[in-house]
Amino acid sequence: MGLTVMAKQHNPTQKFWRTFGRVVIFIILLILAISFLYPLYYMLINSLKSLSGYYVDPFGLPSEKLQWQNFATMISQFKILKLFGNSFIISFFTVLGLVAFGTVASFSFAKVDFKGKGGVYMAILATLFVPAQVTMIPMYISFAKVGLVDSYFGVILAYWAMFLPETIMLMTANFKSIPNELIEAATIDGCGYFGRLRNVVMPMGWPAISLSIIFFFICSWNDLFTPMVLLKSMDKRTVMVALSSLIGRYTGDPPYQYAGLLMSAIPALAVYAVFQKSIVKGMSMGAIK
Amino acid sequence: MAQRSGPGQAALPRRGEMRRKNVRIAYLTILPVIVILLAVKAYPIIATIYRSFTNWNGLYQNDFVGLANYKEFFGSGLFMVLFKNNLVLLLSVPLQVIIGLIVAVLLYEHVPGWKAFRAIYYIPQIISLVILGYLFKSMFSLDGPVNQVLESLGLGHLAKEWLADGSTALPIMVGCITWYSIGWQTIVILGGMSSIDPCVFEAARLDGANFFQRTFKIVLPMITSVITYCIVMAVVWTFTSLFSLIYSMTGGGPGYETMTLDYMIYEKSFVTGSQLGMACTISVVLFVIIMIITAAEMKLSNMAEKKWG
Amino acid sequence: MKSKMKKVVALLLVAALLLGTITMLSGCSKKADDNTLTIWINGKDSYIGPSEQKLSQEDWYISQAIQRFEDANPGVTVELVVSADGETAHQTFKADAMAGTAPDLANLWTGQNIFSMEDVILDISDLIPEEDLENISGWDSVTSPATGAILGYPTSDNQICFFIYNKQIISECGLDFDNNPPRTIDEFNAACQTILDNGYTPIASDESFPWFGCYIVNYWWVQQSGYDRILSDCDGTTTFADDAGLISALEYYRSTIENGYLNADAVTSADSWNKFCQGTVAMMPQVSSVVSDAEDALGAENVGVMLPPDFDGAQITDQTIGGPGQCLVVSKDCKNPELAVKFLSFLNSRDEVLRFLEVQSKVPTRTDITAEDLGLAADSATAKLFDWSDQIVYWVDNSLYSTVVGDYYNLLPLVLAGKMTPVEFAEDLDGCVTAG
Repeated sequence: MGLTVMAKQHNPTQKFWRTFGRVVIFIILLILAISFLYPLYYMLINSLKSLSGYYVDPFGLPSEKLQWQNFATMISQFKILKLFGNSFIISFFTVLGLVAFGTVASFSFAKVDFKGKGGVYMAILATLFVPAQVTMIPMYISFAKVGLVDSYFGVILAYWAMFLPETIMLMTANFKSIPNELIEAATIDGCGYFGRLRNVVMPMGWPAISLSIIFFFICSWNDLFTPMVLLKSMDKRTVMVALSSLIGRYTGDPPYQYAGLLMSAIPALAVYAVFQKSIVKGMSMGAIK
Repeated sequence: MAQRSGPGQAALPRRGEMRRKNVRIAYLTILPVIVILLAVKAYPIIATIYRSFTNWNGLYQNDFVGLANYKEFFGSGLFMVLFKNNLVLLLSVPLQVIIGLIVAVLLYEHVPGWKAFRAIYYIPQIISLVILGYLFKSMFSLDGPVNQVLESLGLGHLAKEWLADGSTALPIMVGCITWYSIGWQTIVILGGMSSIDPCVFEAARLDGANFFQRTFKIVLPMITSVITYCIVMAVVWTFTSLFSLIYSMTGGGPGYETMTLDYMIYEKSFVTGSQLGMACTISVVLFVIIMIITAAEMKLSNMAEKKWG
Repeated sequence: MKSKMKKVVALLLVAALLLGTITMLSGCSKKADDNTLTIWINGKDSYIGPSEQKLSQEDWYISQAIQRFEDANPGVTVELVVSADGETAHQTFKADAMAGTAPDLANLWTGQNIFSMEDVILDISDLIPEEDLENISGWDSVTSPATGAILGYPTSDNQICFFIYNKQIISECGLDFDNNPPRTIDEFNAACQTILDNGYTPIASDESFPWFGCYIVNYWWVQQSGYDRILSDCDGTTTFADDAGLISALEYYRSTIENGYLNADAVTSADSWNKFCQGTVAMMPQVSSVVSDAEDALGAENVGVMLPPDFDGAQITDQTIGGPGQCLVVSKDCKNPELAVKFLSFLNSRDEVLRFLEVQSKVPTRTDITAEDLGLAADSATAKLFDWSDQIVYWVDNSLYSTVVGDYYNLLPLVLAGKMTPVEFAEDLDGCVTAG
């Protein structure tokens, strides 16, 4: 694997174009990477400015003393760590449920042929087609009637309903390419359903599971609308909802908000860092028996 | 690499008690999902469909008006304007998937710096779309960086207010969405590629297949179902999740030139004095459109799987 | 078979345990109590000021006001809930009302926003103390035109519209807005031309949402047509297309950009306020809330405010758009309306408003507070706003009917961009009226 295996070179001109091509590709990838980092850079330089410093020049580097206290105040007064806790509880249990329910259901969708599979699959997917703004009031009313408003579980349940179809779609797509012989081999070895799940699907499908963990953790972490509507108590607010009240129509404090946003990106980035390597794992993982 | 049954086909025995038992378990595993979805989504969706035939204002005004909302929506030409905008934004889907695929293969082949690139490319997904929309808006403003670069290249006559016109604003949005989504597509496709046998890939390289042949003739067929996922989800997102981006970049304007169906649903729900009955109507129309497109995609993908799988 | 059953049971147990834990974490729902009030306050542009965001919740003005009320009324608790987004708060309030769990008090916007919610908001006309009716202005903004019900207290935030200007640029151009501001359209044009000739941008505004339109152009409309005419346009008795005041105001709006008086990229720009704070723009249409930020950026001696110029022959002159944009309402679900109104009266009492104004520089709706009471220098921008607090016409766009307000906001930038003529715009609004 990798560029160590060189294809046969025919002549110096071809070699030149090949290398030139590689350099061009590298430069394009580099430019892309830099552009992806720019928004973080923008937020960083602005989080270190004072409010009037920001208004005077939002794009340049801070010209006055660096306002590290934006970050300090976030922790001490804005109580951002408590908000992290709330967001984390919600995202953690959301992802837990998605992985638990999603993996078992996807295994069935991917590998078992049963009557009505296509229809059920489509129906599950179809719940994604309705945007949240209109379903909000009826959903809120039904949640209120059972006392699920202003509770973590209400938000988590709403997220399960929102993200399960996508999770299932993603995992099913990945599980479909698990070679059937491995599953058959496990069955022959006497594995029941859960044995097959544990020994074949989870190791082989781990990229899809990691992806789901990353993606839906970040989705639920960054989501604004659902917790804004379903959570009322001040001590249950999520971090993104709390940060959104920092920039209003008439007045606002962008540097302060950017400091908060940068800090909020850290848990998301951490989850990504932990799981991203598992995404490409290849068949070298002991699948061949 | 002979395989008795290819990926995508049922792995488990076709007849006998084993099969019945497996089917029973399958139903059991799907049951929790169905219960959750029914509990949370069934009432809102049914309520939405019902209310699309009323003049609901979010409160107690709930008179049945039959097809009046639909007639007004289609009759006023509003539908065509919004739908056309949605279609233009859909162009980002093939762009994101193809670029994502190319980048994924590049990273798979361990281009120098691949580890760093793989880590960095996902980062836009972590940043809120509202901030990205605002940044793009500043970039393309009349005295923003893009125009400044054009000036310095001597192309000053091309400098204009990019977001003032739907015909230039929409392509910029397509670019923004593509840029934002490349990371996601790359990561998903990389995940899908983990099931490709490295031997197959190596053999192709040694046989002299060039990069594009490797990408499109080897990788693509082997991960059809993953690509289908990418395309289907990208389409659904384009129709339902671009609200924050449009809000911060153009607010749907000028006029309705960059407004999409789901943005109009927001407008009717929140801004313009709660014409929620109409918002439900537009939601139903959107639902049908997405359903038709997705069904077509799944059909195509099944055909492709049979051909290549 | 048995082992599989065991595994299924185990999984279900784990799931149940998980659910139980989460439900416990969510806490029990609070029981509504006759002596507890729940109040929603918007997290931005309302009682919680930008400077307070950096303090912990107990140090906010509103928290301390609540504490004072609780101390003065033993046995009473007021629970503060911050609505992250004022716009969404209206929808959530409705949803709560439909479910029967609306908060006792909520921070909503005035005008049509609450008139359309009369079904779920309590008419508190009978509960308001007489002296509040006398000493607080802006009751129009919360009085339903249909039924005359008073639906809430206006907040102590009289948003007044004006042109904010950079004194340094103005004097550099040889003009004197402090003592001799342009009062007619012709004088205004001449002043803009002078500023333009001196190399500055006369007016800047970000019009992808039509702020200039809502703040100033609407004043030019209402001063020529009168409020009644606008309302009758909305209900179809008269038409927008025949409304000469509207057409005239819109034509002038368009002319500002044609003449170069308004920044050329107004339809898409996002940086007008930044430019004003950097000192490259002479004027900007704005509201009371921004004055203190401007004074921080440019220096208080450098910031001035002036009323918009008047059209010749206008019905209303020397006024501007303004009025409380927000209010506090009592929901019909409230179990103790007398207590709720008592709290509102408390919050709007002279003492409390004075305390509030120490934290945020706003123009109060109380008529018995003067600029001197607050120690404002007589020639400061904010003091001038106090002078104007009885020269205001209530926000026109908050009064437009829901059938037209959507197209109004969305299509006004097209008029500015020249893609739609004022007459076409008016005809479109008429179309909305007949369709709706």
